[in-house]
Amino acid sequence: MKRHHSSTALVSASLCAAACCLIIMSVASGPRLLNPFSMDMETCRTLLAIRLPRTVVALLMGAALGASGAILQGIFRNPLADPYVLGISSGASLAASFGLMLGISVFPLSVPILAFSGAIATGAAVVVLGHGWRGLKPERLLLAGVGLGFLLSAVLMLVMTVAVDDGLKRAILWMSGDLSMVDWELVPVGFLFIMTGFALAMTRRKGLNALTLGDDIAHSLGFNPVRERFFLFVAASLMTAAAVSLGGVVGFIGLVIPHVVRRHAGSDAAIVLPLSVVGGGALLCLADAIGRTVAAPLELPAGVIAALIGSPYFIFLLGQKKSN
Amino acid sequence: MTTLDFENVAFSYSRDSFLEQIAFSVAAGEMVGLMGPNGAGKSTVLKLAAGLLAPKSGKVMIAQQAVRSYSGKERAKQVAYLPQLLDLQAPFRVSELVRMGSYPQNGSQALTTEEALHIVGLHGKARTQLAELSGGERRRAYIAMTLVQGAKVMLLDEPLASLDIRYQFDLYRILKEIVRAKGVAVVMSLHDLGMGALLDRVLLLKEGRMIAQGAPGSVLTDETVREAYDLNGPINGYLAANRGICRALARPASDNC
Repeated sequence: MKRHHSSTALVSASLCAAACCLIIMSVASGPRLLNPFSMDMETCRTLLAIRLPRTVVALLMGAALGASGAILQGIFRNPLADPYVLGISSGASLAASFGLMLGISVFPLSVPILAFSGAIATGAAVVVLGHGWRGLKPERLLLAGVGLGFLLSAVLMLVMTVAVDDGLKRAILWMSGDLSMVDWELVPVGFLFIMTGFALAMTRRKGLNALTLGDDIAHSLGFNPVRERFFLFVAASLMTAAAVSLGGVVGFIGLVIPHVVRRHAGSDAAIVLPLSVVGGGALLCLADAIGRTVAAPLELPAGVIAALIGSPYFIFLLGQKKSN
Repeated sequence: MTTLDFENVAFSYSRDSFLEQIAFSVAAGEMVGLMGPNGAGKSTVLKLAAGLLAPKSGKVMIAQQAVRSYSGKERAKQVAYLPQLLDLQAPFRVSELVRMGSYPQNGSQALTTEEALHIVGLHGKARTQLAELSGGERRRAYIAMTLVQGAKVMLLDEPLASLDIRYQFDLYRILKEIVRAKGVAVVMSLHDLGMGALLDRVLLLKEGRMIAQGAPGSVLTDETVREAYDLNGPINGYLAANRGICRALARPASDNC
């Protein structure tokens, strides 16, 4: 048992060290490499106004999506669940795209506010639709999320087909997880919502473990499965809504990061949640750094790069699991 | 002193009555079997005892208090329930699963994870993924979790299902040892008439009614078994052979059978 604890500690320490290196690399890299040891005024300005907020937003978004994925995979007992399966991102996308395509985005903070409202409204609708006569059951909640997600995506496609070109391009970039327009403005609010969601999830970590074993065993261990599922769903919705409103839609991180963490550090939510935060943040930082560097001055959306990096690794993990 | 009491319990899933007038008591240190054909109400009785379902009338008491009046944590200290179907794909390692048994205990657990794993014979598999265990080992890992939980009543829904004969007797011996050492009351549903003969008492259900209860020798008779399962023709020979085999296999590790 001691060996187990020490190997988990080693994995955690390694992941944190790798994340620190990636954050430093992300801050330094870009169309122009910043040297932290010789900073002039312009370099300082670039660092504070562009690189740092972008890195912080990438960290927050990745962290929120990683933790949300870990929660949703647990409460739905489904390894394919992620923040986007539940339709929350579709709700955020639809609301934000309306703003971008109808020109409402000229008002400050309108797109993030719309995205957050859309995400929260969709999350609430999924809870209402998923609430059967025996409470909030995972299969009903999942079906409600998937169904609503398809409906909202269909409406979004309809809106996009009639949209004007300029708004359409901005909406597509936003939906690909483009971080090029982020600044400090939204960071405090986003941080607050993400920390609230994460803190709520951490207080429910034992309930999350128990729900993963099924409602009957969770009940036997002293939990109220419906109440635990509700609080954890609220936590995941808050974090996803905040992430989407910070920088748009970034898929894949919520799906793959919890799997990677579980493979290396075990499945206890007390470990998986914080390490998914670190891993998700680090992956999106890396993806954003690559996206703004490889084809500079052209910027590739971080969400696309994250999927391009993560997918082959995910397939590699599946291959290893099969051979084991 | 009784730890589990059913006082004239009735229950229905819909308008039609499903269980009627179920009354029995289980004392500390007893191993009781719930038997009867499919759909007789065995799993429903266990779920009522666990507080998962509310009776339509009557009372389900654990330690002289209605089971559904306990707070979640207090109930979990009194009663542990293992469903028949255990998650095959739960992503946990054995030690992670077993440690969850300590959740209701606030640090004062009855057994450590290592001790529970030793009792069920899985001490060398603490780091193994549940999905990599055999059906019998997985069942034992869940039993270890309930041992750590330290509840006074263990409710097991068909714990012997899908286990080969060796694992069935392994599990029987483990449970017998727990009952003897910890004074825990075990109530389990099962189908094997021979295994039922090894228990302290048997409750025989048919179509939601209790048709017999008492010592296995007085309940699992040719007449009552034929009535419960709607069988034609005598089955004395079958019952005697099953009982004989089970007693012979249980003997090496248990002197009570």
